[in-house]
Amino acid sequence: MTIDEIKSSFDAQITKCGNLTELQELKVTYLGKSGELTVLLKSIKDLPAEERPAFGAKVNELRKQMEDRIASKTEELKKAVLERRLREERVDVSRTSCPSRGALHPITLIENQICDLMVAMGFEVLSGPEIETDYYNFQALNIPYDHPARDMQDTFYITESILLRTQTSAMQVRIMEQRKPPLKIVCPGKVFRSDNDASHSPVFHQIEGLVVDKNVTLCDLKGTLEYIASHLFGPQTKVRFRPSYFPFTEPSVEVDLTCSNCGGKGCALCKETGWIELLGAGMVNPVVLENCGIDSKRYTGYAFGIGVERAAMIKFGIPDIRLFYENDQRFLKQFGK
Amino acid sequence: MKLPLSWIKEYVDVDVDVQTLCNKMVGIGLEIEDVTYLGEHVTNVKVCQIKEILQHPNAERLLCCKVDIGGEIIPIVTNDHNVKAGDKVPVALHGANLANGLHITKGKMRGVESWGMFCGAEELGINADWYPNADADGVLVLQETAVVGADIRKEVGLDDYILDVSVTANRQDCNSVLGLSREVAAALGKICREPDVSYCEGSIATSDLVNVDVLAPDICKGYFMQGVTDVKVEKSPVWLTSRLAKVGLHGINNLVDITNYVLFEIGQPMHAFDYADIDNQHIIVRRANDGEKIVPLDGKEYTLCSDDLVIADNERAVGLAGIMGGANSGIKWNTNCVLFESATFARMNIRRTGHRLGLRSDSSARFEKGIETYTNNLGLSRALHLVEQLGCGKVTRGRISLGEVAQSRTVTFDKRRIAKLLGIKIPDEQILSIFGLLNIAADIDGNTVKCIVPPYRDDIFRDCDLVEELIRVYGYDNIQGTMMEKSRITCGGKTKEDKHVDALKNVLCGLRYNECVFYPFAGKALFERASTASIDETQYIKVINPIGEELSLMTRSLAPNMLQCAALNLSRGNTDLRLFEMGKVYLAHELPLVNLPYEQKRLSVCATNVGFDMFRSDILQVVRCISDGKLHIARSDCDILHPGIAAEILLNGVDVGHFGKIHPQIAANFDIEVDCMYAEIYLDKLFEQARVDFKYSPIAKFPSVSRDFAFLCDEDIDAQSILDEFINLPLVESADLFDIYRGEKLGYAKKSLAITVVFRDKNKTLQDSDIEKQCSKALKAIKEKYRATLREQ
Repeated sequence: MTIDEIKSSFDAQITKCGNLTELQELKVTYLGKSGELTVLLKSIKDLPAEERPAFGAKVNELRKQMEDRIASKTEELKKAVLERRLREERVDVSRTSCPSRGALHPITLIENQICDLMVAMGFEVLSGPEIETDYYNFQALNIPYDHPARDMQDTFYITESILLRTQTSAMQVRIMEQRKPPLKIVCPGKVFRSDNDASHSPVFHQIEGLVVDKNVTLCDLKGTLEYIASHLFGPQTKVRFRPSYFPFTEPSVEVDLTCSNCGGKGCALCKETGWIELLGAGMVNPVVLENCGIDSKRYTGYAFGIGVERAAMIKFGIPDIRLFYENDQRFLKQFGK
Repeated sequence: MKLPLSWIKEYVDVDVDVQTLCNKMVGIGLEIEDVTYLGEHVTNVKVCQIKEILQHPNAERLLCCKVDIGGEIIPIVTNDHNVKAGDKVPVALHGANLANGLHITKGKMRGVESWGMFCGAEELGINADWYPNADADGVLVLQETAVVGADIRKEVGLDDYILDVSVTANRQDCNSVLGLSREVAAALGKICREPDVSYCEGSIATSDLVNVDVLAPDICKGYFMQGVTDVKVEKSPVWLTSRLAKVGLHGINNLVDITNYVLFEIGQPMHAFDYADIDNQHIIVRRANDGEKIVPLDGKEYTLCSDDLVIADNERAVGLAGIMGGANSGIKWNTNCVLFESATFARMNIRRTGHRLGLRSDSSARFEKGIETYTNNLGLSRALHLVEQLGCGKVTRGRISLGEVAQSRTVTFDKRRIAKLLGIKIPDEQILSIFGLLNIAADIDGNTVKCIVPPYRDDIFRDCDLVEELIRVYGYDNIQGTMMEKSRITCGGKTKEDKHVDALKNVLCGLRYNECVFYPFAGKALFERASTASIDETQYIKVINPIGEELSLMTRSLAPNMLQCAALNLSRGNTDLRLFEMGKVYLAHELPLVNLPYEQKRLSVCATNVGFDMFRSDILQVVRCISDGKLHIARSDCDILHPGIAAEILLNGVDVGHFGKIHPQIAANFDIEVDCMYAEIYLDKLFEQARVDFKYSPIAKFPSVSRDFAFLCDEDIDAQSILDEFINLPLVESADLFDIYRGEKLGYAKKSLAITVVFRDKNKTLQDSDIEKQCSKALKAIKEKYRATLREQ
């Protein structure tokens, strides 16, 4: 073929070329070792010497044109391939359903939240036996056998001296017998009282807090509880102390929080008072310290016991304590994150 | 305790509204459970005076009245023919509400205008205890002194509030109007008046009437007695019965009413004996004889024991001390001499006797809370004052006084304790004024505070008690929170065990399991449903006073609660259950318990709509998040699991739990119709195997080679046995099952196990010959032990 024939033949073929394999074949046909253009170039030796440079230049120019053409065609075809792939691989991304992570029980959520707060303040988290002796549950806490405070709690007994603990405070003396101040302890756990209705369960959970050191005051107790309340129920939450009585603390207080439902204005949840009772607390009674061999002149301490279900009921708006123990999966799943 | 506001006002000048009063009371430690306005249900009823009565023109039974309601004359039609012109009666006007729920509107009765209705006592919610003659039928005719036009509630005593006050166990002195009045006075910064206890004594000496012996002084700390002669038993005046009515008592007769009045006002339970019934003028306070019988005022017979305290004469018991008087010595309408008893009986005895006999009274309820000897004399004197005031008789001369009399107590403490406990400083003058409000005579000398505590305060013994008195009056609202700036820094955190528990919960939640919490006790019936064997109740730790049998035994397995929960969920249409519990089982070292039992922490996991392999994978991930120890899964003979689908987890040779499919018989017991997988893990055993030390091992430099094999073997050969033959070879990195094939051409009860084995030498690139050598060893062993042969490709 002549140089012009090659050019027009190449132009016709490359225009038709539809994929990279054909293009590669085309490249070989024209530019390969025995390709048309190579053959044409080899024929240069048959030309007179003076024509050779011009011929050579012409062929090389065509080669350059063809190479450029092939390169751009390659790009064009690759792009088409990619575009097609992208088109073909398209999926429907719109669906929103997914398997849900399992949920921690709301009691655990509150326990974890409070324990985490306490740990950040330097408290150790400890737990103790649920089947407890009368000594640790009552006597060592300044509640002897004939004490009126025993009437406050309906106790489940196993034997005359062994019972289901009625309060996590039972851990106070166990800890203070074994360790010396400074003590910052928090004890979550199950407690038991013979009571069963919409707001009382025979089994419920408490978190006991105990601090014993030099210079621990009622103001520290208030500060600690304010810190917990604001983290648990929001920064607007205020804490109110009301005088109360527990045999193992003196002074003793009931602790109310501003109602998280109405913000303290008064609503059905807080019986129009604006306050919700959450826990009992106080300064550790010197009698209890002395029962554990701790010098009550040098050391003071505070203790508090938070009702976990009560906190969860307030925080999550759960109306009936029995829901916690029914474990309907539709209830449980709501607490998944 | 129910407290009428009007009764407090007898002792304290209350000059704030009831809401403010309640807030102040809460502020010093008296919880207000409820506030009721007595007149809440009676509105727009006034005192009117009937000016004129005419026969109704159209109805024989009706009368047409013109009444004055205070400057206005209105027409009222009534059917009560007892009313007379000039009578003052209650009239319910247009829009009025009455205690029985009636709502009154203006209207015409048989053509005559009537702007309201005359009311009887019942419609106002009162009776003769509240107002004179209020037990008569028909319209209530009011006293001459009634003010025309006034709100009827003011006239009949309904304009009053009842505060339901919750008193803490240490303040037994506040279970009385007087005690609460003292607190109210302190809260308002006012004076509390003392009750009038004056009376004149007659000529007959008490000691001539009666001898008293207390034979059980250990349970009768104080016993005081004085008599009344020339008794006139009659109805009490309305001012007294209306007060009793407001606290829920009916008027009976003047003497009994006086004892009830003193019980509520002073807090001292009293008893009045008919002197004529006391044999031989001798009263003995003694323990009952075992088997002794008594018939108290309720008319039933009770059998007593030596733990009970009785008041007796020479012949017989005449009263169950502190609980109820005997039917044989009560006040009768013809009684003419009375002995008043005022005593302190031990609270625990009263409590035990009351509980054992199922017999309670207002007195015993009060004794159970604790009575101090302080009120013995005060109560008795107050009763005698009322006897005189009501003109019931003549008080005898002198008082029989046996036992101790409460005295004031001096408590001295270091003033610096105030700041030490409270974190605030209270100025001296404020300390003195607060103590003054509480009737505590205080004196400050340098750092020494000396306090004389009144005898009725038996809760104050040491510094912290007095500090509490200061702060509750000073006001807790006046302290600012601090963050333990002055105590030492401590290092907090969770125990290793709790961290493991958190890790497990995290993995389980990631595997889509939801956490449950159960009661750790249940009943025999539930345990039996969750077992294929019968239940031996004696193995369980038992609550001796359970709410019911179904909550009486401490669990020894987590399965019963979990299965019950699964069944409940399924019955409510919840499918795809994925549940777990971190619970405890309670294992006694001996029964009955002498020592505390072992409380073993366990994990239970339950799933429906999931195959065994998937469940196994979940459970092993749970185990693996704690331990990388050597794992072996054996067949389990756990009786709650399907015998063919039951596995035991051995970790480093230790049994850490089991899992599998719930036994079909147990599933049927719970009406569970779907496949239900269950696992129970012993957390103490698992945590003992926890990974402790960990060192990095270098990443392999040389490539691995993997080979696939297919073995033909009997159906009952477990895949892991064959895999183990490879795993135990030195160059094998891993061996895993990737397919099980069963088909007719393999033969009956045969299966084909397809496995991949990965070989690696950490020191060189493996040659085929190295692998062949290893493999032939394994293949030989597999053939010999399990009769499993390589399948032809």
